[in-house]
Amino acid sequence: MNEKEFERLLLSVQKPGRYSGGEINSVIKDKSKIDVRFAFCFPDTYEIGMSHLGMKILYSQFNAREDIWCERVFAPWLDFEEVMRKNNIPLFALESRDAIRDFDFIGFTLQYEMCYTNVLNMLDLAGVPLKSADRDESYPLVVAGGPCVCNAEPLADFIDIFFLGEGEEVDLEVIDLYKEHKKNGFNKAEFLKAAAKIEGVYVPSLYEIEYLPDGKIKSITTKDNAPKTVRKRIIADMDNCFYPENFVVPFIQIVHDRAVQEVFRGCIRGCRFCQAGFIYRPVREKSYEVVNHQAKCLCESTGYDEISLSSLSTSDYRELEPLLNNMLEWTEQNHISLALPSLRIDNFSEELLEKIAHVRKSGLTFAPEAGTQRLRDVINKNVTEEEILSTCKTAFEGGYTAVKLYFMMGLPTETDEDLKGIAELGQKIVDMYYSMPNKPKGKSVSVSMSVAVFVPKPFTPFQFEPQITKEEMERKQAYLKSCITTRKIDLSMHDSSTSFLEAVFAKGDRRLGAVLESAYKKGCKFDSWTECFDLQKWNEAFSECGIDPDFYSLRKRDYDEINPWDHLDYAVSKEFLIRENKLAHADTTTPNCREKCSACGANCYGKGVCFERR
Amino acid sequence: MKFVSHLDMNRFMTRLVNKAKIPIWFTEGFNQHAYFNFAVPLSLGFEGQYEILDLRIIDPAYSNEQLVADLNKESIPDIEFVKANEPVLKMKEIAFAEFKIIFEEVFAEKIERFFAREQIITQKTTKKGGTKDIDIAPLIKKAELSGNELTLILTAGNENNLNPTLVLSTLFELEQFKAEYSVVRTMIYDKKMQPFI
Repeated sequence: MNEKEFERLLLSVQKPGRYSGGEINSVIKDKSKIDVRFAFCFPDTYEIGMSHLGMKILYSQFNAREDIWCERVFAPWLDFEEVMRKNNIPLFALESRDAIRDFDFIGFTLQYEMCYTNVLNMLDLAGVPLKSADRDESYPLVVAGGPCVCNAEPLADFIDIFFLGEGEEVDLEVIDLYKEHKKNGFNKAEFLKAAAKIEGVYVPSLYEIEYLPDGKIKSITTKDNAPKTVRKRIIADMDNCFYPENFVVPFIQIVHDRAVQEVFRGCIRGCRFCQAGFIYRPVREKSYEVVNHQAKCLCESTGYDEISLSSLSTSDYRELEPLLNNMLEWTEQNHISLALPSLRIDNFSEELLEKIAHVRKSGLTFAPEAGTQRLRDVINKNVTEEEILSTCKTAFEGGYTAVKLYFMMGLPTETDEDLKGIAELGQKIVDMYYSMPNKPKGKSVSVSMSVAVFVPKPFTPFQFEPQITKEEMERKQAYLKSCITTRKIDLSMHDSSTSFLEAVFAKGDRRLGAVLESAYKKGCKFDSWTECFDLQKWNEAFSECGIDPDFYSLRKRDYDEINPWDHLDYAVSKEFLIRENKLAHADTTTPNCREKCSACGANCYGKGVCFERR
Repeated sequence: MKFVSHLDMNRFMTRLVNKAKIPIWFTEGFNQHAYFNFAVPLSLGFEGQYEILDLRIIDPAYSNEQLVADLNKESIPDIEFVKANEPVLKMKEIAFAEFKIIFEEVFAEKIERFFAREQIITQKTTKKGGTKDIDIAPLIKKAELSGNELTLILTAGNENNLNPTLVLSTLFELEQFKAEYSVVRTMIYDKKMQPFI
């Protein structure tokens, strides 16, 4: 397709900047000097994918190698997909505009379950057969990484290789192996067998699953000497691991349109519902000098006037004080605003608030997750009501008048009392505001409460737990609504059909591959977008494939049942998860990693919080 | 950079002046930001060859040549800075803009007939969301066709700004045809038809 024709097509769709490429810091290479071409695919829109830190890291790291050209690919929005299909434009990479069908690797990052249909759609748009078994040596290898890989069994039929854990090292090892195999006549089956020997590489076709008559898994066996369990990879030394010196800076506005500086990986807290809190263990920090230096480089190379610190719980960073002191020196001078997301309520100090107040003021968001102390103990969210109230008080005194609180509904052992607690907590915050003699003058308070439906996830102590039914959710939502009596509280409870599907795919097995393909063929895509999600089509797909979704999501699983992900090792042992599940049912909390080790198994890497001096 | 809207262009500039470490004046309000102003926004899908940007340098020793060099060093190939000088005219003295419109095919007869009209009535959407009839003929200072290339000089600036898209859509409507075309803004003029500086 010639340039003019392409430009005209772009001008016929919304936000052509999603597809035009040419952004500052995007990498262009000479094709003739490249051995491996890698299409890094984010199965959602440009604005979402471009906000993702992992993609920025790997994009820069791959491109730092002279023999690799890594390019970006995003899911085209509906309007452009239509244009592409009508004009026979195959899915292309933004940098070269070449069809990714001719690349060596097509790599997906799987950040959430609801993107799976987009993965299939992108393969189809690329002109690549969906199933791994239908792709011979003439097609690119299709690989995937990201958190969903901890149970990506529903995608097992479609993906050649999954990367478990952090990709910085393992991805390049596989690319090097590929280069070697390409020299001696490439054979896909041989290559996959060899790749499976690399730690962190999971080749799903080398594993066979047998089922019991009741539908549960009977056994998981390996073929061709593939390892019985695959352990995730981590980067042990964060100070010396690769971090990009620049980001591609988009023209169009993206979701997180700022520089992002990683501070540490993992989380010490162990909130029992939180998958990230378990699969990224152990906690590994960067030193504040490194963070400060990298952050400064990023701002200089991108020109961003906003930078945010990224981690699962930024206030748990041990060197936050010196870091902020160092960063504020140059951020203030250069009119750069500093954002600190993911702060915890219990260690949100006045000094910290003052430091944030130095720069731009946005809203304050907290996540108590549950309405009563009992339920917060069950989920191991070690935050007390006093802490929540005193934090809000500090914030109000600092001039804030709006706070946002996140909760979950349908948590294990939840009763109506716990739901009522959500409403009561909101009321207490409102009352506290009006009782303050030094409250911001002439301003009303606004407490926004957002309540999501709990989705049990693999590798958490709640992986054994069922999700609540739709009927139960509706009843709970109506009840919670009735508990709220003030207009100062803005309660939002989203339609949660996607949460139910999310639970099915999070805990599903590879038999769901057929459902995925069927739903995709019926037109399901962008399932995380309410305007695209079509529950009706999904229900049809399930019934056509003879699969009951409730089997996966609404069933309490015994501790000794074989889960579809039991052959994957994320360095948290099943024994530990069972112990934690039992403690949850006894309303008992577990201390965080810095207070006391709970022997989850993550110390096997010999690094991180497990070896900090206490 | 056809696919960059005016807002995107503003964001691009904010980052470019940061990246190039330009000693630019920052606004002093609640939300401090680098201050600059594009004289006439360029529509999405148009190319521009003579775009004007106003900004204030706070370092007296910083030369205009240095400014241009520093910006170009950090910019992308499609956005090039040509020249910097002290403002001679005020922004409100912008009066006309010249566009080059290239059609995929030659439609000489229809185009010439259209621009020969004494009155060209079209509908313009008003700020309130309604539409009103206006005559755009007086706003078209020049329309010259050479093969498939049409040169238009239209009134520009804060008042009576005429967008070529409106001219072309009216052309297609009144002369009942449709054509693919591309637009390049080639010049911005003052009242005396001198290049705006």
